[in-house]
Amino acid sequence: MNKTLLQKNTRILMVWLPVVLLACSIVFYVLMRMQAHHMQEKQLLLKQENTWNAFLGKNGQIERNISGEYSIRQTDLAAINNENAVRDTAIYYAEKKKLLPFQLLSSRYQWNHQTYVLTTYVSSTEISHLIIKVFLTEICILLLLLIAIVFLNRKNSGRLWNPFFSTMQKIQEYDITRNPGFSLPAETGITEFNALNQSLTGLISNVNSAYHHQKQFVENASHEMQTPLAIIRSKLELLINQPNLTEKAAALLGDITEANDRLSQMNRTLLLLAKIENNQFPSVEAVNVSQLLLQLLHNFKDHYEAFPELNCDIAEGVMVHANLSLIEILLANLTRNAIVHNLPGGKINIKLTASGLIMENTGLPAEGNPEEMFERFRKGSHQSRTTGLGLALVKQIGNVYHYHISYQYSNGWHRVAVVFG
Amino acid sequence: MKLLVVEDEPSLLQSILEYFIQEDFLCEGVAGYSDAIGRIDAFDYDCIILDINLPDGSGLQLLQYLRQYKKEEGVVIISARDSLDDKITGLNFGADDYLTKPFHLSELNARVKALIRRKYAQGASVLEAGNLRLDLASRSVSCSNQVVSLTKNEFDLLAYLLNNKNRVVSKQAIAEHIYGQQADNMPSFDFVYSQIKNLKRKLKEKGSDDLLHSVYGLGYKLSL
Repeated sequence: MNKTLLQKNTRILMVWLPVVLLACSIVFYVLMRMQAHHMQEKQLLLKQENTWNAFLGKNGQIERNISGEYSIRQTDLAAINNENAVRDTAIYYAEKKKLLPFQLLSSRYQWNHQTYVLTTYVSSTEISHLIIKVFLTEICILLLLLIAIVFLNRKNSGRLWNPFFSTMQKIQEYDITRNPGFSLPAETGITEFNALNQSLTGLISNVNSAYHHQKQFVENASHEMQTPLAIIRSKLELLINQPNLTEKAAALLGDITEANDRLSQMNRTLLLLAKIENNQFPSVEAVNVSQLLLQLLHNFKDHYEAFPELNCDIAEGVMVHANLSLIEILLANLTRNAIVHNLPGGKINIKLTASGLIMENTGLPAEGNPEEMFERFRKGSHQSRTTGLGLALVKQIGNVYHYHISYQYSNGWHRVAVVFG
Repeated sequence: MKLLVVEDEPSLLQSILEYFIQEDFLCEGVAGYSDAIGRIDAFDYDCIILDINLPDGSGLQLLQYLRQYKKEEGVVIISARDSLDDKITGLNFGADDYLTKPFHLSELNARVKALIRRKYAQGASVLEAGNLRLDLASRSVSCSNQVVSLTKNEFDLLAYLLNNKNRVVSKQAIAEHIYGQQADNMPSFDFVYSQIKNLKRKLKEKGSDDLLHSVYGLGYKLSL
């Protein structure tokens, strides 16, 4: 069972603090009883001393017996029972009509060659009442202490863990593709959290720089490839203009040209992906998707003699706030996919609403996991003029504007849905 | 027409020079910034083809130098940088056109010719081949004084082929010229074939036969 730190902490306190407090109370009670007993013994001894002194002072002419205070008896016995030991007893009080507990102490004294037994009494009612009252007070104080400890602990934990929670929140909000600027406070006032923040900052700056290098690498590599591609292309153009070109050579040149063009296209797309990742399309405007889509479909119909049967449901005036070129690329790639991965005599359904775009087309099931369709160089089929980057591009653009893009295949239909964020 | 090509990649420089020499340009090529400055100081050119990334300087600096000394050469930038910002910067520095690598030589040729027409031969915007006349200003085509009505794409295609007269122009170059970056979205270049077919038919109707030739399926050539 996972609980929050605070819950766990409180729980431990709530279980163990009462146990400790209970044990303390028992010890306290026992010690207090012992002290009370000791105090009564002292009182009894003092009373004996005072009474005997009074007895001697008055030459034995004092009251021999005051109930509840003392009694003096002359005795012949050499010894008495329980001499010099405190014993419990009870004395009957007529006005209260009950026996009240007392403690007594008997001692032997010699005076005028006579043996006297002096017994002193002290009431144990008051002391036991006092013990009960003190004990109850102590229970109250311990309960207050328990509540105070739990309360203070909760309050203090929240404050102590505050840097941790703020670090947690920052990490959760961190997105490598969007906000590489990431900083945690180096000074939290708590050494452990300072260390944590420091390690995390180091870790993330490493991740950032690795990511940055990777992006930079793709962009640089694509750039560097442009020149050799340009050279190949120019040489091919010069070659096809050679006067004594044979048909065999022409066929070879045709294949090379096609492959080189695909390479150029792939390179261009990779560069575009890198640029989108590097946030090089910052300008944003209101884009009329409906208009753009209709224009695009018109162009596509122009290019394709065998354009699949089209079923359009395009709401008018659908606007998004985005970069025009990126939206154009997104729509063109989706439409192109729907055409390229279609069957002969297939169909395309397009539904555009204010909330999103759904593009469906007939086609053979794609190879591989639908989740991986949006990854780079993932091809659903072995079309020669596809780069395997189209959907990656769509996904990347979707990421920029927080569009949710999903793909599914059912009953012979490919379906890509874009939900505008 | 005098042309200066500034490109640090010798193979590419050589290809460009070869293509333009065949087009009867007077061509000179240099590989670096300082060489280019020397040439510009010494001679006047009609057009300069300029790479931005040079080993000893930037093409943009060269552009600034040109405009500072009130040189009127037309400049076409060829660069590997293809973002809109790069293009806008280039054009702001006084370039007349911007072409991204890898480009087709036929496209570069068409751009250079268009630039030279714009800059030096105001009004004379007519391309001719045999009895075929194409007027760029009024966007009209006539064949033996008979008007040929063409679609926008067919007109652009014909103008492109006329600019590259007697050259084999590849299908890919045609597709990219007419549709630009959108050509990437096409699974095949069959539509180039059908455009050519329509164009041929229309020209034949007006009595201009046998101008367009297919070259082993590689591309097309306009020649008499």
